[in-house]
Amino acid sequence: MDRRKVDVVLSTVIIIASLIILTYDNFVEGGAESDLGSMTLPRVVAALMIFFSGSIGIQSLKKLYNNAEIESAELIITNGFSGIFIYIGIFVAYWLAVPYIGFLVATPFVMFAIAILLGGRNWLPISAVSILVPVLVFFGSREFLRVYLPTWTLS
Amino acid sequence: MIDNILSGFSAILAVGPILGIIAGVVIGIIFGAIPGISAIMAIAIILPMTFYVDPIVGITMLLAVYKAGIYGGSISAILINTPGAAASFLTALDGHALTKAGKAGKALDISLFSSVSGEMLATMVLILVAAPISAISLQAGPIEKVFLLLFAFTVIGTLAGESIPRGLLSCCLGMLFAMVGMSTITGASRFTFGSTELMGGFTFTPMLIGILVMPEVLNVIRRRKVPHHELAITRSPNPADNRISFAEFRSVFRTILKSSGIGTFIGALPGLGSSTAAFIAYGEGKRTSKKPEEYGKGSVEGIAAAESANNAVCGSSMIPMLTLSIPGDDVAALLMGAFLIHGLTPGPMIFFEHTETIYAIFAGFLITDLFLLVIAKAGFSFFVKIASLRRYYIFPCVTVFAFAGAFTAGQNINDILVLIAFTVMGYGMRLVGLNPAVFIVGFILTPFFEQNLDQAFAIVGSDYHLMFASPFSWVFIALSVFFVFSSIKVRKKSAAKAKAEQQAKQEPLCNQTS
Repeated sequence: MDRRKVDVVLSTVIIIASLIILTYDNFVEGGAESDLGSMTLPRVVAALMIFFSGSIGIQSLKKLYNNAEIESAELIITNGFSGIFIYIGIFVAYWLAVPYIGFLVATPFVMFAIAILLGGRNWLPISAVSILVPVLVFFGSREFLRVYLPTWTLS
Repeated sequence: MIDNILSGFSAILAVGPILGIIAGVVIGIIFGAIPGISAIMAIAIILPMTFYVDPIVGITMLLAVYKAGIYGGSISAILINTPGAAASFLTALDGHALTKAGKAGKALDISLFSSVSGEMLATMVLILVAAPISAISLQAGPIEKVFLLLFAFTVIGTLAGESIPRGLLSCCLGMLFAMVGMSTITGASRFTFGSTELMGGFTFTPMLIGILVMPEVLNVIRRRKVPHHELAITRSPNPADNRISFAEFRSVFRTILKSSGIGTFIGALPGLGSSTAAFIAYGEGKRTSKKPEEYGKGSVEGIAAAESANNAVCGSSMIPMLTLSIPGDDVAALLMGAFLIHGLTPGPMIFFEHTETIYAIFAGFLITDLFLLVIAKAGFSFFVKIASLRRYYIFPCVTVFAFAGAFTAGQNINDILVLIAFTVMGYGMRLVGLNPAVFIVGFILTPFFEQNLDQAFAIVGSDYHLMFASPFSWVFIALSVFFVFSSIKVRKKSAAKAKAEQQAKQEPLCNQTS
């Protein structure tokens, strides 16, 4: 994928967002009066963002317009992206499942799924690691850190 | 100062801190040696585990992970030519050449001795100069601090990014995200869109793990079909090839001292980091060497130069953080976050408010080097074996540690959503050439910047020209401008050099085809 096209789109989005920050007053609610004002720094930062993203966008647009040869840093390698989407999907499912089925039940499935995604086929050791690690983390957190990871709430 | 150092040693020489250091060293070496996991990732994963222990134990453990992680990176660089970080690139060059010649033991030995020497020297400098510098920086008022922080933003954004606008944009994005939630000055809620969850701002730990650690996991998943390389120490039948002799160490000692000095100086400057130190020290070592032709082809001196310099940065990058509240590099930024979480605000006041704690941390920093030397030397084979584990055992565990770490911060399941969102954002930033580490620096420093800016405005009132009345203001403005222009010049020079090299490579090909 040509990163220069992404640059142009991203710069446009950042500029629009920064313009909204510069012009819209309702991003701040309440608060006491101060010498600086609550929105001064965000607006200064937004103005700087317009400048920097503008320069990135214009440079990329110029290169695209001139049909300049693409450099290695400007190429986004998309091979293997399907794995990333699957991983994020697994993580989102993990986040949704943990409050209901608990850390100890959800984690072995998640670890097993990620191991398979990474090409693991040694079922026995993978299963052992997927069960042992959550148990160690759960009880380790409880005993040493006094952190109580979520438990089963379906009853 | 001597009294403080002695009391620091007495505080650190207890069971808890020593166990913390040992655990930190072991974890650091293992994580550093695993290709795809860097020292910064190791610290981010371990950070939540230190929340519930004494700051002396927690911080020294994190520092031990840092030091050992940087050294651990050289193991994979030497054995499989895979530098864990850019700073180990030169170590891989000479170290892997020695491994191919059956002298892996020699390369690992010199790497360890140089790393420890470099770290010790830098730590000594840190202990000796930090307190005096902090006494001077105490004189700085809010106006001077505003310009100092502006200088830090400019230097880090300019030098650390892929290009200057991308580096500075990363910094601005970090600043903007830091302003979400309740303002510490006015109490106003900003960018919360009516959500009470956002009133406290973004939770630091899930954001940190999401931005810095998880994108590396995504990267490994994207390249999951690349074959696994097993780490193995090649042993030569000649025992002299498997170790470094005292005579060999003595012959490179001058290089180690010089490179450590270079690393210490570079580390103390914000934004440059360990890669720059390693490259400068390596270049200087080659320039003054009696055998410059061996550099890049298995030179023990080359490994010594690169390793001592990049490890010296560990200690000296703490100097600007502890004296001026400016993190020298991305790891220092992360450590600054850890200090804040433990209730210690890095800055000149730390030497007066938490004298015993800070000197105990210094003592721990020094003792870590001894433990690193002993543990790494005794357990080379063990660490190599652990680091050779296949990625489908390691990365599911990293995912679980990241999940548990993000949850531990606030014991709130919504923090996992923050983790996921910043994971996607961190990966996206890398794809478009924005720098996540600069983003973190911007995020951490903005509250200090805003507070000092508000105080500065309160002091000058409507006489804004008074902001420029102090000579410090002009010094920092001049330094910022100098760094920006010198960075533009260096980048133009290296781009022209790369273009010329590419053209030189293409010419013979054209001749062959014609």
